[in-house]
Amino acid sequence: MLKMIGVETFYGKIKALHGVSLEVLEGQLVCILGANGAGKSTILKTITGLVEPEYGTIHFNGQRIDRMDAEDIIKLGIGHVPEWRRIFAELTVKENLQMGGFLLKEKDLIHERMVEAFHHFPILEKRKDQQAGKMSGGEQQMLAISRALMLKPKLLLLDEPSLGLSPLLVQDIFATIKELHKAGTTILLVEQNVNHALKIADYGYVLTTGKIFLSGTYEELLDEEKVREQYLGEGKYNRRAKVWSG
Amino acid sequence: MTSLFTDINQEIVSGIALGSIYALIALGFTLIYKATEVVNFAQGEVMMVGAYVNFFFVTQFSGMAGGLNGWVFTAALLGSIIFALLFGIILDYIINRPLKDEPVFSIIMATISLAIILRSLTAMIAGPISLVPVSPFGNNTIKAGGVVISVLDLAIIICAFILMALFFFFFNKTRWGIAMKATSADAEAAQLMGIPVKKVYRYVWMFATLVGVISGVLLAPRMALLDTTMAYLGLKAFPAAILGGFGSIPGAIIGGILMGVIETVSMGTLSFHFNWVKEINDIIVWIVLIVVLMIRPDGLFGIAKVKRV
Repeated sequence: MLKMIGVETFYGKIKALHGVSLEVLEGQLVCILGANGAGKSTILKTITGLVEPEYGTIHFNGQRIDRMDAEDIIKLGIGHVPEWRRIFAELTVKENLQMGGFLLKEKDLIHERMVEAFHHFPILEKRKDQQAGKMSGGEQQMLAISRALMLKPKLLLLDEPSLGLSPLLVQDIFATIKELHKAGTTILLVEQNVNHALKIADYGYVLTTGKIFLSGTYEELLDEEKVREQYLGEGKYNRRAKVWSG
Repeated sequence: MTSLFTDINQEIVSGIALGSIYALIALGFTLIYKATEVVNFAQGEVMMVGAYVNFFFVTQFSGMAGGLNGWVFTAALLGSIIFALLFGIILDYIINRPLKDEPVFSIIMATISLAIILRSLTAMIAGPISLVPVSPFGNNTIKAGGVVISVLDLAIIICAFILMALFFFFFNKTRWGIAMKATSADAEAAQLMGIPVKKVYRYVWMFATLVGVISGVLLAPRMALLDTTMAYLGLKAFPAAILGGFGSIPGAIIGGILMGVIETVSMGTLSFHFNWVKEINDIIVWIVLIVVLMIRPDGLFGIAKVKRV
């Protein structure tokens, strides 16, 4: 469904992605793991055209998208829930959802999708006329996801949906993601919350400083000592410390 | 004392008329600033160009119609509106697109250059002489409650308020209006909704140029002579916007009107009683600006700035 080959993205002169290749098959839930600044968000931003890659190709359903404008990529059926949610704080919950459905021409359809969102997250209906920025982090995350679902994307990109949420809410959000996946949405998830993410993912990629460093299924990745060491907190940090001190 | 009092009422009414023009200009650049973070120092020049273009249309059409009448002014206004929309598209291409993500300093220098270019071009095309603008309402006045108001001032106030009401309706109720608000709040997130932000920016510039040109059309007949110094009046919309709270749309409107009132009242009362403060109207707005910046830098409706890096 989505295929990236040798993608290199720059921020000015700084190279953020060093030839990233990855694939998401239809119906899969694929997870990208990695520390802060490894380039996880950059991968997603490159896919939706917020930043343009310098080299490499990205295909979505057989169509090349790496030189397209963001709005055209969204039209093809890719939804993107950005890091830190990025809801429109000054707008009401309802207006946020309306904006999520900006590309829908029919008002009835927008209304229909909004009702669906309210069905999923009843709290949003209660707050529909409230300014979105005044809601709690969890509610904002629900809104951000609902907003991206207004267009019923074929592929949903989720950028650290658990960021800044309490453990209980994190569980809720992951339950929602699992549900979405079950309902047939293909998902590319970026996470630092490795335990949660790998449990629901079909396939995972581990990213370090802009390079794919490992990939595999949940079991395969768990077997990799390096992943456990770096991301699951089970390894010997001393070894790494030695590398740094030379 | 009663005479002084009616004087003040008189000045206030006239100040509201002048202030609604400031409000329109302030609205124009607040809109651009909010949406694109470009501070457009040429908004006053846009207003001046609007006044000239309208003058040109009025002379052309009255030549064709064989005299001045209501149709001439209406046709000229329509012509100016069409010109404004095209002009907005051009400014979007030559100023906004290349400069949008540049440092603030470059943007300021570029828009100041644009201002000078527009002033010089206007002087080159129209010639160095001052023009005598004609008011569609002549010198007619109406008397209401002891206050004499010129029909022109009344028309200015009504036009400005209609424009602002349309603007509020557009921004709060229409799909594109809300998309503009969304884009100005977070352009990247707006892109992820499939909102064509480049188009949104173009509309914003078209809209801002439109209010600029219309304010020029409204202001010109209020002045005895039309020349390129009219653009400096537009500069006064900056202190007006800062008084209201820079970046706030209600702030721009209320700040604009207040500034107009402050200016007219101070000129009318002070310089009437004290001969030596004759030109007070030219400095009072800048004094207010400094005072506002000292005691309340966020202005009346200032919003605390939270910037995402």
